Amino acid sequence: MPDIEPFSPRGMFHEGWTAEVNDYAIACGWALKGKQFIVGDVAGGLFSFEGDTGKIIWKKENTHSGGLLAMAIHPEGEIFATSGQDGNVQICNCHEGKVIKTLDLGKGWVEHLKWSNDGLFIAIASSKKVYVFNEIGEEKWISEDHPSTVSAITWSNKNELATACYGRVTFFDIVNNKTNQKLEWQGSLVSMELSPDGDIVACGSQDNSVHFWRRSTGMDAEMTGYPGKPSHLSFDDSGKLLATSGSERITVWSFIGNGPEGTMPGELCHHTEPISSLAFSNKGMLVASGSRDGSVVASFLKNDGNGDPVGAAFAGDLVGAISWRPDDCALAAVNAKGVVNVWKFKVRTNLFSKGFK
Amino acid sequence: MSIKEKVPVTILTGFLGSGKTTLLNRILSEEHGKRIAVIENEYGEVGIDQGLVINADEEVFEMSNGCICCTVRGDLIRVLGNLMKRRDKFDYVLVETTGLADPGPVAQTFFMDEEISSEFTLDGIVTLVDAAHIDQQLGRSDESSEQVAFADVLVLNKTDLVSDDALNTLESRLRDMNRMTRIIRAENAKVPIETVLNLSAFDLDQILKRRPTFLEPEYPFEWTGVYDLDAGKYELMLEEGPDPEMSLVALANQGESEEELKDGAESSVRLYAEKANSLDPGNTIPYGEHINLKLEDKGNKSFILNIEKPTKIGLFTQHTAEEFNMKVIKSDENKEIPFSTERFWQAEHEHDDEVGSIAIERFGDVDPEKLNTWMGRLLSEKGVDIFRTKGFISYSGNPRRIVFQGVHMLFTAQPDKEWGNEPRRNQLVFIGRNLNEKEMQEGFDKCLI
Repeated sequence: MPDIEPFSPRGMFHEGWTAEVNDYAIACGWALKGKQFIVGDVAGGLFSFEGDTGKIIWKKENTHSGGLLAMAIHPEGEIFATSGQDGNVQICNCHEGKVIKTLDLGKGWVEHLKWSNDGLFIAIASSKKVYVFNEIGEEKWISEDHPSTVSAITWSNKNELATACYGRVTFFDIVNNKTNQKLEWQGSLVSMELSPDGDIVACGSQDNSVHFWRRSTGMDAEMTGYPGKPSHLSFDDSGKLLATSGSERITVWSFIGNGPEGTMPGELCHHTEPISSLAFSNKGMLVASGSRDGSVVASFLKNDGNGDPVGAAFAGDLVGAISWRPDDCALAAVNAKGVVNVWKFKVRTNLFSKGFK
Repeated sequence: MSIKEKVPVTILTGFLGSGKTTLLNRILSEEHGKRIAVIENEYGEVGIDQGLVINADEEVFEMSNGCICCTVRGDLIRVLGNLMKRRDKFDYVLVETTGLADPGPVAQTFFMDEEISSEFTLDGIVTLVDAAHIDQQLGRSDESSEQVAFADVLVLNKTDLVSDDALNTLESRLRDMNRMTRIIRAENAKVPIETVLNLSAFDLDQILKRRPTFLEPEYPFEWTGVYDLDAGKYELMLEEGPDPEMSLVALANQGESEEELKDGAESSVRLYAEKANSLDPGNTIPYGEHINLKLEDKGNKSFILNIEKPTKIGLFTQHTAEEFNMKVIKSDENKEIPFSTERFWQAEHEHDDEVGSIAIERFGDVDPEKLNTWMGRLLSEKGVDIFRTKGFISYSGNPRRIVFQGVHMLFTAQPDKEWGNEPRRNQLVFIGRNLNEKEMQEGFDKCLI
């Protein structure tokens, strides 16, 4: 159990609802435009709650034998996909949780799922391969073997997929089946985020650094000095700020002007233990962070990456995942004990941008 | 930080055919009250029913800085990262590596990755060797000697396929390579579970509690013969040999099992540490004393052994019986009594292998600053070739013993118990490749005050 004392929601966090799932909660997300909240636990349990009240809508157990590894909700919010140690991907409908299609990819763990922004494709990483299927589960593309297990995938535009593994990031045109770009770096890349315009590639590395590339110029930079590996990265919706984990502090790099090379990052020290989840709000410069100590904090950031907390709440145990509701008026956190917390949040984005300038 | 028991992890290494899977299945099927999660790098041989078994391909990740100690195993980070979310399902982890695995990155993963080290603790490295084939394997591949070098426990398996003499020679060779390991002989990987699990081999406090020294003893004698004797008078006959004298300890009630022989050897090591009493031919050999047989005269020399009631006598001799054509003869019958068991100890170390152990033992205090400088330089220059380091040090002015250990260049030192009345001393063991013993000892001596 965490060392910090439980506390009531503060600042812009307000009491919402709580619920429980069966095991360590590892994935969560909002469906049906915020009307529904879906949580997956490590044992393969899936739970769907009413977004406003927390009332259970449906639940399923043992969806993946050996356990669940990933979940991704379609951008339209009507369907979602899950994957697990059984080598399967299930595409389900959100309303009842019914399986629409099961994809069997063999015996490797299926660790990463990402829907393309337009929702036409889902990218799936299993061991050294990446697959792309369409919404109805038809196979559209398979990669060659990567040099190591694929550690992250993300879409750079509607037809282009980025993959990260040991030693490189690769961009694939999955429609024309060609490799658009390879960015190499000898190191084990453990996480990857792209700026919303797709130009900046940021990867957390096993050697406790963050590596950047700018695709347009080919320039790259390495940001070292992290005490731990930056497993969690998040860009704000404008692509100006990148928040990174790697210790109990949130380190924020600002891409405004010539940065972040040669600049000091912003640092937010709100937690007593390392950051275990990180997410910018859908709009605006609010970053929410969850820690191993069970605390969840939302901070409002300035252009240089520094900022102040605007609210905090206690999730009870190591925060496994956090998720902003699509309208940013609520924040959800799920923890290692399987507890789900949803707090109401008053964003007031417009007021902020006036008030803080 | 939350106070949580870390999950112990045992690493099982060994060449293909050394019996890793047999041992693994044995551990899994035995009643020990543990729920064990297994990470298997070689596919398919473990029974699926036996709990939580995860297959993973070995992925060795080197870092851009080129530092060998930063090299980790990506597959373990991934799999253990998932397992740590399922803490209620198991309380022990076994990692079975492939035959060709380098144990360095496996061990380093538990020190280099903060997320892993906050949840798991490396309990020990167990290496299986096939007694019939290890001699050739050691000559042919770096991996097998590294697996021997990294081992906290060496299971000398398939001993039924090899003669006792060959086993003794092999054990000496392995002991030379890794002087801090514990060697266990086994047939069909049959070893007591407690000799391979829960070793706390990386917890120096624990080790030092169990064993006052990291070093397996180096025996000051080469040979032991056990003679089953009736009551009566016997003569120990020796011809001319390589030396004009020879040290000996005779023990009564000496058993013949390996364990009893080792017990006897340990008692004898202590007796050997005392000053020897010289004994001229014709005199009676006392029991349980360190004596020095005078053998200058030409021809046969004999010494008397008096046996009051039937017993087994163990003779722990500085040289082998063969070198002096040593015989035990029943006086009244003039009949030679052959030994019922013999055991060679091979005290002299011929360092044929590139991989070896260097031990430094010195009384007195060291200057912490000088030691840090020396160790820092040693590890930066030779860290690639130094596989493991263990030891304790007496810092001047510090009432506590400083214990330390390292894997390649990774190195931790922490204060341990107070010295109290114990004489202050230092003991270091380095296991590595092509290490220069003299240079290292001189380097250490310069740190002494």
